[in-house]
Amino acid sequence: MAALLSLDGIGKDYAKIASRGGRVRLVWDLLRGRGAAQVFRALDDVSFELARGASLGVIGENGAGKSTLLKIVAGVIKPTRGTVVVRGRVGALLELGSGFHPEYTGLANIDLAAALLGLAPAEIAAKRDEIIAFADLGEHIHDPIKHYSSGMVVRLGFAVATALKPDVLITDEVLAVGDESFQKKCIAWIERYLGDGGTLLLCSHSMYHVQKLCRHALWLRDGEVARYGDAPAVTQAYLAYHEEKSMGAKAPIPKAAATAAGVYAVQTLELDPDDSMPQGGKLTIRGDVFSPDGRPPVVLVGIVRADGTPVYGVATDMDRVLPRRIARDRYAFTLEFPVLQLLPGKYFVRAHALDPEGVRLFDNVERSLTVTGDAREFGLVRLPHRWDAEK
Amino acid sequence: MSDATATAPSTSMLAHGRARDRALFANFFRRELTTRYLGSVTGLAWALLHPLALLAVYHFVFTSIFRATGFAGSSFLAFVAVALWPWLAAQEAIQRGTTTLAGYAGLIRKVAFPHELVIYASVAATLALHLAGYLAVLGVLKIMGEPIHLEGLLIALPLWAVLALAVTGIALALAALQVFVRDVEHVLMPVLMILMYLTPILYPLTLVPEKLRPWIAANPFGWLVDRLREALLEGRLAFAWGDLVALAVAVALFAGGRWVFRRLSPHFEDFV
Repeated sequence: MAALLSLDGIGKDYAKIASRGGRVRLVWDLLRGRGAAQVFRALDDVSFELARGASLGVIGENGAGKSTLLKIVAGVIKPTRGTVVVRGRVGALLELGSGFHPEYTGLANIDLAAALLGLAPAEIAAKRDEIIAFADLGEHIHDPIKHYSSGMVVRLGFAVATALKPDVLITDEVLAVGDESFQKKCIAWIERYLGDGGTLLLCSHSMYHVQKLCRHALWLRDGEVARYGDAPAVTQAYLAYHEEKSMGAKAPIPKAAATAAGVYAVQTLELDPDDSMPQGGKLTIRGDVFSPDGRPPVVLVGIVRADGTPVYGVATDMDRVLPRRIARDRYAFTLEFPVLQLLPGKYFVRAHALDPEGVRLFDNVERSLTVTGDAREFGLVRLPHRWDAEK
Repeated sequence: MSDATATAPSTSMLAHGRARDRALFANFFRRELTTRYLGSVTGLAWALLHPLALLAVYHFVFTSIFRATGFAGSSFLAFVAVALWPWLAAQEAIQRGTTTLAGYAGLIRKVAFPHELVIYASVAATLALHLAGYLAVLGVLKIMGEPIHLEGLLIALPLWAVLALAVTGIALALAALQVFVRDVEHVLMPVLMILMYLTPILYPLTLVPEKLRPWIAANPFGWLVDRLREALLEGRLAFAWGDLVALAVAVALFAGGRWVFRRLSPHFEDFV
């Protein structure tokens, strides 16, 4: 069966206007059938297919091109490059509300939206009560939309966009606006819709919603596909990217300098497996420490998430052990986590050297660690747990 | 950008396409009629009051102050009324049509639909209102004993259709340009004002100095005004070859306006 929706090499350029005269120039260029002289590349080379019943979450930072992509699928704008094929009826909810007129009452806007979707007047009448019931706006349905709160507009928009059971449902940040109970109602509706074989294209900043509702995810960065695949893997990569970004680069203290200064310093730090490990696997951390006076230092090993949130830290003196002496001024340590239940994501393993009293912290060396897996739980670690429930 | 081909969702319902466009047009048309007067106390009556007030002022100025004469046997009132209404209809249709897309910005940014329906609805609403006012005023003048030939409507109504076609074309082009260059609406006001005084609406062509007459007569709207007066004030129902030329000009204006509009409309979303 052919894909319900397929995009091939989609690109979209927006005209860049430098001056007032630039607008006149642009009109002239467009009339002559040329593109704009100066463009901003909003999307470039985006390709994917959606089969019937699939669900795709589009994620990315502000300005990454998410809305542009959804608008292209919805047919609101034409792509500059590439081809879009949609085989079915699209219900779109873009940027709050599906194109309402502010002066019109909720009811009049329902009629307008239905006309836009191509419904005959008789069909509109049949659907109207259903839409009103779902939007649940009470008497406000008779008020002009301009008096609505943004949440109320979204309620009406969602009710309209879903009333027709579209083949493809496109929603852009809808769930972020409604109140808690309406969000639940929307999610319940979408889950039922997906269960009935509906196809969803969801754009959201909430990884929770993407993971809950979408099987696949597409991460857009600066208009290009940064990653496309299973939702858990893509959302984790995206979160890790953000955590790293918000933390910034933190350079460890140069080892040579620490040694020269005559302080306790971590000289090497190795992870096994090296860089990436499956959730629940075994992790061994090895390293050696320079001791200026030959006394055994205290070694502190910690795991932090990529944004710096501490997960767990333990020092040799807490467990009443000493690192193993391998030379006059060198000590080695090995720490093993037989079953490391970190949830999938990006982390850092840090090793610190302290003086033998465990008071002064001299050094800080870190290695990155990616934990892979498709767990959908929340938080940092999987805690041992048991449900008393029926299977 | 020529290699881009897109199957818009609307075309996936091709069978419904035409019916959908008709339903949308009807919705926009109603919206144009009602939003225009929504919240104004006089409501639809204003569409009739405005030209009537203008007509009264012109009547006062031209017959009581300037004491103008030479209106081909009919009174100044009938002479001006026959020409003033179509002019005001065209002027308002062009002005409203030019700026109407801004009111649909929310739709244009979020929903796929043929944008030109907005212009059609806006122009149609304005012209329909003024045509109704025109017919009402002709009726009143007739009752007042003015020499109005109602059979002249056989010519007058097709002339309105030609006017509508031309006005729609002009409005399409200007509306599309207005989205990109906001100066259009500001330039339009004085231009229309000047055009009105250069058209023999308030004066007969015979009052124009001999040397300037061909220039004034070359104004296509002046031709329309002449034909309306011939039909409604003199009862001349003959077909003229100029009618075909007028129709050709109107068709060309419409086709040209639509071409401009369709060239620019894919880019509205970013600028409206």
